[in-house]
Formats: sequence, structure tokens, C-alpha cells
Amino acid sequence: MKISMRWLAEWVAVPDADQTARALTERGLEVEGIERRGDNLAGVVVAAVRARQPVAGSDHLTLVEIFDGVSVHQVVCGAPNVPAPGGRVAWARPGTTLPGGLSIGVRELRGVRSAGMLCSEQELGLGDSHDGIIVLEADAEAGREIASELMLRDVVLEVNVTPNRGDCLSHLGIAREASAAFSLPLTLPRVDFAALLGGAGAGAAAAITPPVAIDDVVGCPRYQARVIDGVRVGPSPLWLRRRLEAVGVRPISNLVDVTNYVMFDRGQPLHAFDHARVAGGAIAVRRARAGETLVTLDGVTRQLETGDLLICDAERPIALAGVMGGKDSEVSEGTTRVLLESACFEPRAVRVPAKRLGLHSEASQRFELGVDVAGVDASSQRACALLVEVAGGRVAGQGSDLWPRPLEPLMIPLRRARLHAVLGLDVAAPEVRRLLGGIELGEAGGGAAGADGEVLRFQIPTFRTDLTREVDLIEEVARLCGLDKLPATLPSVSRAPARSGDRVAERARELLAAAGLHEILSYSFVAPAALAARGFADDDRRARPRRVANPLRLEQSAMRTAILPGLAAALAHNQAQRVHDVRLFEVGPLFLPRAQGADDPELCDEPWVAGGLLAGERDGWLRSGGPLDFFDARGVVEALVHGLTGHAPTLAATSVVPWLHPGVAATVSVLGRELGVVGEVHPRVRDALGLTGVVFAFELGLDPLRSAPPAQLTRPGRFPGSSRDVSCFIGVDIPAARVQSVLAAAGGALLAEVRLLEDYREAGKVPAGQKSMLWTLTYRSPERTLTDVEVDAAHAGVVAALASELSATLR
Amino acid sequence: MSESPTSESLITELDELGVAFSAEIAALASEPDIRAAQARYLGKKGRVSEALKALGKLDPAARKAVGEVGNRVKSGIEAAVSARLVALADAVRQADLARVVDVTLPGRGARLGTLHPMTQARREMELIFAELGYEVATGPQVESDFHNFEALNIPKDHPSRDMQDTFYLSPLWSGAATETLLRTHTSPVQARTMLRQPPPVKIIAPGAVYRRDDDPTHSPQFMQIEGLLVDRVGKVSMADLKGTLLHFVRRYLGDDLQIRLRPSFFPFTEPSAEVDMSCVFCRGAGAGCRLCKGTGFMEIGGSGMVDPEVFRAVGYDPEEVCGFAFGMGIDRMAMLKYRIDDIKTLYEGDVRVLRQFP
Ligand SMILES: [Zn+2]
Repeated sequence: MKISMRWLAEWVAVPDADQTARALTERGLEVEGIERRGDNLAGVVVAAVRARQPVAGSDHLTLVEIFDGVSVHQVVCGAPNVPAPGGRVAWARPGTTLPGGLSIGVRELRGVRSAGMLCSEQELGLGDSHDGIIVLEADAEAGREIASELMLRDVVLEVNVTPNRGDCLSHLGIAREASAAFSLPLTLPRVDFAALLGGAGAGAAAAITPPVAIDDVVGCPRYQARVIDGVRVGPSPLWLRRRLEAVGVRPISNLVDVTNYVMFDRGQPLHAFDHARVAGGAIAVRRARAGETLVTLDGVTRQLETGDLLICDAERPIALAGVMGGKDSEVSEGTTRVLLESACFEPRAVRVPAKRLGLHSEASQRFELGVDVAGVDASSQRACALLVEVAGGRVAGQGSDLWPRPLEPLMIPLRRARLHAVLGLDVAAPEVRRLLGGIELGEAGGGAAGADGEVLRFQIPTFRTDLTREVDLIEEVARLCGLDKLPATLPSVSRAPARSGDRVAERARELLAAAGLHEILSYSFVAPAALAARGFADDDRRARPRRVANPLRLEQSAMRTAILPGLAAALAHNQAQRVHDVRLFEVGPLFLPRAQGADDPELCDEPWVAGGLLAGERDGWLRSGGPLDFFDARGVVEALVHGLTGHAPTLAATSVVPWLHPGVAATVSVLGRELGVVGEVHPRVRDALGLTGVVFAFELGLDPLRSAPPAQLTRPGRFPGSSRDVSCFIGVDIPAARVQSVLAAAGGALLAEVRLLEDYREAGKVPAGQKSMLWTLTYRSPERTLTDVEVDAAHAGVVAALASELSATLR
Repeated sequence: MSESPTSESLITELDELGVAFSAEIAALASEPDIRAAQARYLGKKGRVSEALKALGKLDPAARKAVGEVGNRVKSGIEAAVSARLVALADAVRQADLARVVDVTLPGRGARLGTLHPMTQARREMELIFAELGYEVATGPQVESDFHNFEALNIPKDHPSRDMQDTFYLSPLWSGAATETLLRTHTSPVQARTMLRQPPPVKIIAPGAVYRRDDDPTHSPQFMQIEGLLVDRVGKVSMADLKGTLLHFVRRYLGDDLQIRLRPSFFPFTEPSAEVDMSCVFCRGAGAGCRLCKGTGFMEIGGSGMVDPEVFRAVGYDPEEVCGFAFGMGIDRMAMLKYRIDDIKTLYEGDVRVLRQFP
């Protein structure tokens, strides 16, 4: 809400804008900006034309001699409307910078010296007119600042009014707060309505009393209709236009401007109907019936819904209550008789259709936050007075005021003990009375001491629709006495915290960082195409991600069912920056749709996963350690799973993961549970995600690990072991894990350790279809030192098993 | 051995052997060579031993005198060997110490990765509150309208809904009744916790939240941390809220900082207050500071006393219990701490940025 300091000063004699802004902010009405209007026209002054003559050799330039109140200057002007001597113009002195950024200096035009510039409205940012220069009233004082002459000087506060303070969406509301803040009286402008009715003789208009009927007093607690006769539509006077401009409203015509002015002045939205176009001159407030339509002011035919609150005349809807008027009944240039509506509509009755039709306006906003039902008449009277003043009308009688159920005064008790308990600050009763009295909460019934201790009772003014409970009064006391008065203490709550946080996720992050990966955070919503590119089986629920109904952009419209897209986007960002050695991870939830019969089926299962992406080259010393391969990714996965569970994961080749290379992919399991997969990103997926080079990735579920048992100690052997090597050619398709399991089975209890030292498969150096493997086996007994004879015997059995079970050829 | 030696000639021979040995090992530079030389002189068939075989032919008096000379020469040779070996070892050590490594070459070994600055900030905040006895609570990010709004006193068709632009999810099947959304704050965790357990409650809820803001200073997803303390009336007050926030900002960003509460409005708290803290750049001085626009303060979050309607919605009796709640952006706090000026930097995953936060 924009608050004009000039306007505010009519209500209360506030100090300067900075002090006012500080006081309002401290009271919860945050001033977010201060605009000093007219400052941008410094250097532009009223000048009197002394003489004018054509510039020699030009068909349109005029040499104008002007007087700025002090001295005489010569300026060349290209406009056709330079007034005759005696006329007043707006002159920008040399050295001025105009609102559009144009710097004014002294120039030579056609050999003639020209100081400054005579300005048009457009050049001063005052309007669109570029037809010619501004010509001012002939009695304007030469030398006076143009900003003052045109009543442009004002300071405007941008006040952030919170949704509970609809009463502050007006200069009156802000004035009430300022009056309390500075202990200054509020000046209530008096409207002599009896005089307006023109009691004396010929000037009086015949009384017109519009019939008003309210069908729904919940939707419309009060409706007042007055008629102003004999108005002449035209532009508003300058002061009125400037007021509206200051609060950001474009002046339209005197009738519309007055309704807007009163809304910003007192917070009461008004509507002016052309009385001639209101059938029967009658008003009925009722809910819409099925199938009704209304053509609104903006010319759009609106489909009404049953229950929309309507203002109707004798025949048809003429306005959507509090939202927008109808085109048929709006005031226009030919209007001579106005039916002025001042009414109170229930917030929901305005909000629901305004929201549905996207018709939020200054008026609907005020109804949504609640207007002062008791202030309806005062606002109407004020508007009547202004219409008489600026549009020359006469008020045709008292009109109609239907208020079927006037308000009972609201009393709220305030227990001082409760006040103390909630704030942690004991505010004495006289101080509470003083603070609340300052915002027009009168004490009713005096302080009574009962079972609850001292209780104060306050009567709530009708404009404070937000105050309904004791706690609301406690807030007012806190707000008014200042939160800086509160001491800063620590609570004495005795509750031992229970097991806390997601230990598995935190540990996973630490392990992955220790493995050299950098953590990223990415958005939970991703591009549907990125998920599709990752690929899922049709019957996989991850293939049908939940969609954001109102995404900001398509790339952020699918709730991720995989962690890969975010990591891929980060990798792509790095690759675009020419950073190619990239190892990233993310730990976070996926969002998987639930089945229709599940608990809370509209929510998602949110399993937590750890995902990683590796690209580029491995660290070497001084030079690269060579391109990353599958085993770098596997190493990270092993470190992660081992760190989380104390057990090495089991990897098994898989060729059916759609987003991984069919020959370079493995499932990862531990303790009999499958966690996820690791492998080389499928070249097709890589291309679809915009990645370059070979990329390795993993995605492991963390939830199965939450119940992993703690590691159990195995005492290290005390007796030395003996090692034997075995080197063989073996079928290239036999996986290392298979060889290892044959070795382990054949070695029996004495075989303590099996390590692969070499896997060599270069064509030409090994027999076709074979690879060379070198294993080191360590034999050890927990009870004694083994003899060479025992070790040799055990090893011979292992070697024999290799040959017999795997057709290995010993080297 | 044709002629029998005299004691004089034998003494001379022994002394000459001692001198000859010294000359011989002076030229030797390895321990095996020196030991070999030692054996040539002192071994069973060594030159000294051979010379001393003549001892038997001398009379006892001369034998004693020559024997003493022999012992002296033997120990002289042994001492020369030790000295020579020590000198050699010393030379080797000296040579080793002359070795110079260019210590400015880079270190070897895989570099550590990093935790995201926001993870680091979140953990630090969790720790500060854990020390005050707060438990970390979590909840779903895809939420129901009830937990995100209704239970927090933000009814449908109420203007306070306009305060937060919400992302909704498309219904999963036609006729799915409830509105499902991405939580706009971590406050639903409050509601879920209170629905699950009786008071007292003392939790903080960190996590991702979503707002439909699209401008350069906002990210549609960010991280929030929210605190809730509920106990019997009289045990917790707004002054405690202020003290808790003061403790937090001082622990997190510096002991010299101040807290300022400014009256405001949130549907789920009453009284409500914006939380400002001293500007972390000018430390509250204000004058001339571009960051706080000269005010000396910067806004970090919202707070207040839990509204009785919220207690009612979760089945607590607002006459019996009282509590405070606060929330702030982890992104914002991390940005202030690490001087990150653009929130989108946090979500790009740029390795050159991440490496700076070990
Ligand atoms: Zn500052």
C-alpha cells in the first residue's frame, strides 16, 4: 500500500517521512521503500516568456527569451506552441538531468546559443503528450520549481500491510497507527451532510431513494445506495489526480477518481453506477443462479457460478459484488445521475469469484481482508461531498442504507497473568490500558480480579476485524510496547532429545566426500525428458513420475524418480565450463507415486538414495592417472557400502538396466539385500542428457541400510601365514568372482585370503578366448604355524580344482 | 722361519703391521672390504697372527714384552676398523642429508571431496540446537494441504494463502480428492510431530521447501530450518524465543551480533515477529553499508508464539500449553556465512565452487 505523506498529513500531523516510516515499521507495518516524488524534476522551473522570434534559416525553430525570476535566458525551441510573451512555460536549466536521463546543457543551434530546454509532459515523465511544450497557468510564479507548481512534490511510503491488517489499507488506517505512535490527535474530516443535501431552496435535488433488497445478509451485511444528480463527467482537478498518481492509480474521470480516492482515503471500496442504466433504479443483492452471465467493465463475458454474490437491478446482474462492475451500468461521459454504492461484503464472497476469475483488484483486496461495516456511511458521505465538489452534482436525499443486523459491540477479556506468561514480560495494568487505548480499544467494565487473577476487558473498534481473541490483544500489547522491551532468556525445558537426524544419510555423505566426490544439491523437480531418457520398464512406477500442476517451466515439472538427472545437469554445467574431471554425488529423496489403496495415497513414498556420477580422468601425480573406468566407480560403491555396513557389497553383472551400458553394469547387494546399480551410463542416455565422454554412475538406496547390524569383531590371527601364487590361462568369460569362489571352496578352512594380482587379456599374448590370471593365496591356521608340507598340500588341491572345475591351464 | 727372530725384530714387525693396516684401510670405502682387511691381519692365518707364532721361540721375559706389543697392535687395528666404519657410516649419512626435495611440487594422493556448503551449514545449525536439547525431526516433502496449511491455521480461501505461492501436484488419478503440494515451509513437520506425541515438544526440522517464486533472488527450491518448543503455560515465553534466537545467531555467526524482533503476521503464530539480526558485514554499524542499506540489520526469518488454533488443530489444549516457533532459510544463513551472493550458485554443482568449501 502506497501512503502519500501529504495525504496522511490531512489526517494526522505526522513528523517527516523517515520518522514516520521507522515508527510504522516498529509497529509491524513494514515500510519497504520511500519514494520522493518531484525530486527527479529538480532544475526544472516556471519561466515567463519575454519574447519569441523564428530562428533564421529554420522552418520550425523558435528563439525564445525567457525570465526565470532572476535573470533572462535565450532558448531555442522546436515546439509549435510556444506561448506569446507573458505565457508561462516549464524550463529545464542547463545542468539538469531529466527523468528520461537526458542531460540539459548550453548548445548552439543554427549558430544561435540555446541555454536549457523548454519541456513537454513526456520529457518530464508526466504523461504521454508530446504535442508540444507544457504551457502553464499565466499567473504561475516565474522561478518556482515545476514540481511544486504542478503539485508533484510528495513523499510516498510503500507499506507492506500484512493480511491481518486490512484496516491499514487506507490513509485513515495508517493515520490511526501514526496517531498512536506519536501520541498525536487524529483529525477527522467533517462532512456537513445536511448542507450537502442543499436544505436551502432551489439548489436542492429531489430526493431519490433507491429500493435496496439484500437476499443474503451473510454475504452482504450492509448495503447503502445514494443518488447524486446533475453531475458533469470530466477530468478531476489537479490535486485529486496527483493524489491518485501518488498511490499508483491512473486518473480516469472525476466520478471514478472520487470512488478511488475514498477507497484509498478510508479503505471503503465504492462503486458508481450510471443511475439511468440501472433498471428501475433498484438494487438487489443475491447469489447467482446457474447459467447466469455478466459482461464486466473490461468487456469480458463472465460465466457466473451458483453462489457468486451479485448486485442486480430490477432485471439483471449489474456487478459482481466487490469484484467488478458490469459494462452495461458503468458511468460514462454522458452520465448525469450516479447511483453510489457503499457496502460491506463478506471476505469469502469476494475472494472466491475474484480468485476464480483472476480479478483481484484494490477493491476486492480490501473486501477480502475485511472492511469496517460501521464506516460504510461515513465513506459514502465523503464521496458525496467530493462528487459535489469536483463534478458539480447535488445529493438526491439520504438514499437507502440496509444494515439488517447491526454489530453487537465485541468485548474481549485479557488476563494479565496470561499476558505475562506468553510474553515473558510483566506489563502493568495502567500501561496495558494506555497502549490499547492509543489504538481505540476502550476498557469496558474495569479490571476485575477473579480466579484468573486480574482481568481487563476491552471493547474492540469495528474497524479491527482481526481482533477476536485474548491472544490477539496480547499481540497488540507486544506490538505497541515494542518487542525490544522483551528480555532475552533461555527456556528451562527438561526433555532429553531422542535419537536424532538421519544418521545413514549423513554417514553416506561423509564417506562419499572422503572418496573424493563433491556433494551437490539439485531440484526435486526435473525435466520429464531427463527421467524418460534414464529409462524404466513400463510397469515400473518410476516411469510415471508425479507431475507439478503449475510448474515454472517444463524442465521443472516432474518429481524425480531417479537421482541421475540432477547429477547429469550438474555434470553438463561443469563440462560447459570446460571442467571435465568431475566426481559428484547427491544424497536425497526420490518421489515415487503410491498405489491407489495405500495409506495417504496422494502423498509419495520418499526413499532416500545416494547417487554418484564420475567422469574424466583419475588423479595422478603431475600427470593424469589415466581415464576413469568402471573400477573407479565400483571402488566408491565398495567404500560407501562397507563404510555403512561393515560388509563388502556383492556385485553381479546385469545387462538389463536401461540406463546403463549392457556390458558395464552391476547390481549392488549387501547382506542379501539389493541396494541399486553401478555402471557406465548408456551412450544413448548420455547423449540424451547432453553429456560428453564416458560417464560412470551409481544409485543406491539408503533405506535398506538403516537397520544394518553393527560390525562384529573377528580377532586377527596370531600365527603367521604362508603365501603361494597360482598363475593360469582361463576362459575369458569366467568372472573373477566365480574363480574366487572355486578357490575359496577348494582351499577350505586353511585358506585365509585370496587376492587377484593380475587380469591380463591382451590379444596375441594369451591364447584365443582366454585370459591370464595371477592369484595370491594365503594359508593360515588360527591354532598353529603351518608347515610347508601342509601348505603345499592345501595349495595343490586348490590348483587341481582350478584345472578340473574351470578348465584352467597352469602357467 | 729359517732364522729365529729376535724380540726387537718382532716388535718392529708388529708395529709395522699396525702402520701398514692403517694405510691399507684408509683407502677402503666399504664395510666388507674393511672386514676382509681386518681378517687379513687378525684372522687365524692373518699377518699379525702369523707374526705372533714366533712368540713361542722367545724366552718368557721377551715373550711377555712382545705379547703386550701384539695385543696393543691388535686392539689398535680393531679400533681403526671401528673408527673407519663409523666414519664411513657418517659419510653415508652426510651424503643422504645432502639430498634435496622440491617441496613445492604438489602432493600425491587422491583429493578429498566436499560436503555441500548447505549441508555444512545445516549440520552446524543442527548441532547448535542439539546442544540446547532440540531433536531433529523430518517429514515428507510432498505434503497434504491439511498438514501444510489447514493444521497451521491457513484455511482455504483465506488471504494468508497468498503469502506463499505453492506448487501443486497433478492428481494421480481422476477423482483423487485431496490437494497435494510441495511443502512451502517445514512447518508441516510441526503439525505431524504434535499430532504424533503429547507435549512437551522440542524439535528442529531442517529440509527442502518449495515456493513458486521466479526471480533472480529466489530459487524455487531452498532449505529451511524450523524450530518448535511447546510446554506448559508459564514454562516458555516470547522472551525465551528471543533468547533462543540470540543464542543461535551468536553461536553461528559471532558473539557480537544482536537480535531484533519486529511485529509481523503469520497465520500460525500470535504474536508474530520478523527476526532481524545485526548485519554480518558492518556488524550492526549500519552507516554506509550497502548490504543492510545502512540499517545495521538484516532479516533472517520469521517467528512467534504458536497460535491457539494450531494447538487446537493437533488436539492440544491452548489453555494448558504454550510454545514458540521460528523458521529461517538455511540457504540464506549459509550465504551470509560464506559470502555467497547468488542463491543459484548453490544449485549449479560447479566443481570449482564446491572445492572451495572443504
Ligand atoms: Zn550492514
